[in-house]
Amino acid sequence: MRSPFAYVPRPGPLQTASPGAAVAYLGALAAVAFLYSSPLVLIATGAAAVTAGLLAGARRAVRAALRMGFALALLIVAVNGLVVNRGATVLARLGEWPLLGQVDITAEALAEGAVFGLRAIAVMVAFAVYSACVDPDRVLRALRPIAGRSALTATLVSRLVPVAAADAARLRDAARLRGPGAAEAGRAPLARRLLAGSLDRAVDVAATLELRGYSLVPAGPTRRSRFPGGPASRGGGRSTAVRSRFDRRFFLAAAAVLAVAIAGEPLGADAFHAFPTIQVGADPATLAVAAVVLLSGLTPLRRV
Amino acid sequence: MEGLTYSYPRAAAPSLTDVSAEIAPGEFVVLAGRSASGKSTLLKAACGLVPHFHGGEISGAVTVAGIDALDTGPGELAAAVGYLAQDPETQVVSTTVAAEVGLPLEMRGDAPASRARAVEEVALALAIPHLLGRAVDTLSGGELQRVALAAALVTRPRLVVLDEPTSQLDPVAGDELIWLLRRLNEEWGVAVLLAEHRLERCLAAADRVVSMDSGTIAFDGTPADFLAWCRGADPALETPAARLFSLAGIEPLPVGVRAARSVLETRSGAPASSPRRAEGAGSAGPTTAVPHPGKVWGRGTRPPQPSALSLRAAWVELERDERMWDVLRGVDLDVRGGERVALMGRNGAGKSTLLRAAAGLIDPARGRIEAPGGIALLTQNPSDYLVRERVGDELPGEAGMAALRAVGLADAIDADPRDLSGGERQRLALAIALAGRMEGDRLPGLAALDEPTRGMDRARKDELADLVGRLAERGAAVVVATHDVEFAARFAQRVVLLGDGVVIADGPASEVLSGGWYFATEVARVLDFPGVVTPEQGAAILRARPEESG
Repeated sequence: MRSPFAYVPRPGPLQTASPGAAVAYLGALAAVAFLYSSPLVLIATGAAAVTAGLLAGARRAVRAALRMGFALALLIVAVNGLVVNRGATVLARLGEWPLLGQVDITAEALAEGAVFGLRAIAVMVAFAVYSACVDPDRVLRALRPIAGRSALTATLVSRLVPVAAADAARLRDAARLRGPGAAEAGRAPLARRLLAGSLDRAVDVAATLELRGYSLVPAGPTRRSRFPGGPASRGGGRSTAVRSRFDRRFFLAAAAVLAVAIAGEPLGADAFHAFPTIQVGADPATLAVAAVVLLSGLTPLRRV
Repeated sequence: MEGLTYSYPRAAAPSLTDVSAEIAPGEFVVLAGRSASGKSTLLKAACGLVPHFHGGEISGAVTVAGIDALDTGPGELAAAVGYLAQDPETQVVSTTVAAEVGLPLEMRGDAPASRARAVEEVALALAIPHLLGRAVDTLSGGELQRVALAAALVTRPRLVVLDEPTSQLDPVAGDELIWLLRRLNEEWGVAVLLAEHRLERCLAAADRVVSMDSGTIAFDGTPADFLAWCRGADPALETPAARLFSLAGIEPLPVGVRAARSVLETRSGAPASSPRRAEGAGSAGPTTAVPHPGKVWGRGTRPPQPSALSLRAAWVELERDERMWDVLRGVDLDVRGGERVALMGRNGAGKSTLLRAAAGLIDPARGRIEAPGGIALLTQNPSDYLVRERVGDELPGEAGMAALRAVGLADAIDADPRDLSGGERQRLALAIALAGRMEGDRLPGLAALDEPTRGMDRARKDELADLVGRLAERGAAVVVATHDVEFAARFAQRVVLLGDGVVIADGPASEVLSGGWYFATEVARVLDFPGVVTPEQGAAILRARPEESG
């Protein structure tokens, strides 16, 4: 079964945009989530990421990220509630706990945890949309002229991860199929076997990379082919990245989101304090930042 | 290649010894030979993986399209030679098909426009333009193999070398791939060097056969001469049609079905008599008795053995392409103890799913699947079962010993599984699945093997067929999912043919394997005689009908 976060080629604007534009756009949303603590802005950021994902057709990735994000958010709220004793509004006194000492559950600690949780959800959805909509091959290709060896390693790893996952699933099945009279497979022997198998696979994948020409020096305008009819003699030169007509849109959206977010900080748009009592600001600056971020979620719409 | 000798690093003996051969532009050459005879190493030397990737010691010369392959790495050599290996899974490195096919051109710096054209053209040539926008991990094995072939051909190489590319494909996809290669060979003028165990599949397409033995070239000549040579030198390499003619005393030996039929027609002075076609013309049916390979429980005969596997209206669904698909659709099936059953069908027909559901790895969505005596399932990768460094540690105690005896490996108890041969490792994995399911030396349940003959030569397939027979003699029902019709004819009493998740044929092997084209043995396709699937049966028919055997 494919991971919900696996890249699926689709003809949408986000998928056809160049990796730089897509990364800038989704990165801007993630940056806002890290910059801001205002629940309004964080909700707007999460909603923008969800909208972008749905418009880009990454429904499964968004759903899975939301499921995991909410689970993580609940955990954060619970842990924060238990370990943070600050706050004026005590909801419950749970007495002395080993290691934790006196545990008081306060509304402020829970609110702070909820903000951390919202941040986690927004960032996870943005990354899920990136994973499902941005072609990793194009990202690696863009990186190759800058860091050839790193791109090669990343390519090898990105191919090996699904292969190793499939190997692990097969090994698990084989462990379940052992007869009752055979020795238990055991975690350590299985892990050793998986590692050995992965190394074998890595050799095969590396051989394929070698055959595809990954070891060749990236071609430049002056590189000459040693083969008749090769690229140099056919007028081929450095391969230029194909730009998408949607690139500008994503770069503009990223710039707008970041500009508004940065400008909003000194204007008090990030007005949230959990302690000593909860204060959530909803002034015009906060609403403006939230509105711009929320609207940016429409960027992957086919006709804007 | 001139005087090529090569040893892998730390190998005790060379894999190739003084190999000299030349492939002319536009030739289609089949590389034959038993397992470990040096075929794969020869192919790797042709594409530069040997010695540049694998290391080791090499002497002699390899020249491809005027380029010294010992001096040039595989990446640069890829413009002159394309390579396709057995396992399609490890031959793709990109996320999408279009990126994978265009990668070699991108790596050598072709401009986007020329890349796009080359990708489009090779996709059209291989009939995969509809796949270009797909993610590679959503493709079937056959589709993946075509994509890997497209990536090997996109640079318009002068030579393409292929290492058993059909071993994981069903008969339909396998035949299509071979004829696709022949078409590319004829239309593009690409020289083809194809290593293959199932020679009956590709010999008719070949101009020449090179046969390897222990790292040397044992034969080099035309397909017809090869068949005459291997009759005396290595009968395990004979094709079923050639063996049929050998046993019937007919000359010349045919390189394919068409040639065989032509010889028979010439000898009889009329189109090769086919009772099936004769029936259609209103003639009498066959009167020759056909020796049956084994007993089959037919209608009205109550089998003495209890049911080992029972499926009742079984539906199994799996997720594919973000959707749930019915892989098995209301399957009814009964397999009795002692039966030897071949489960056949094209890729994706539901064979593996049926076995996995029977073994409890997948729950049916509806219906009932029961294996009252238990099921020992050997999946497609026997190595997955081997996790320890001593056979005895995998199979401790008396239950382990009984399982080792059942597969004939009792003497290997102190061996390291990695030191066993491929066939022995497969038997050990089967013993691991069987351990604890035996009653003394009897096997009351079901033993199931999923595609066990991949990459096997005929000698190893014969050993496996014997093992299947021994397990059945011990009381086990044996079900083997396989694409290999010749192997099915060799071991099976009964064939169950799946198509799109339903049973489309279920009957005696001799009946099912002689009743079609793709899921029929070569002998059945030559003679088209009901119930005749093996060379021995066919030879008996031909001897009994002297007007055809001359």
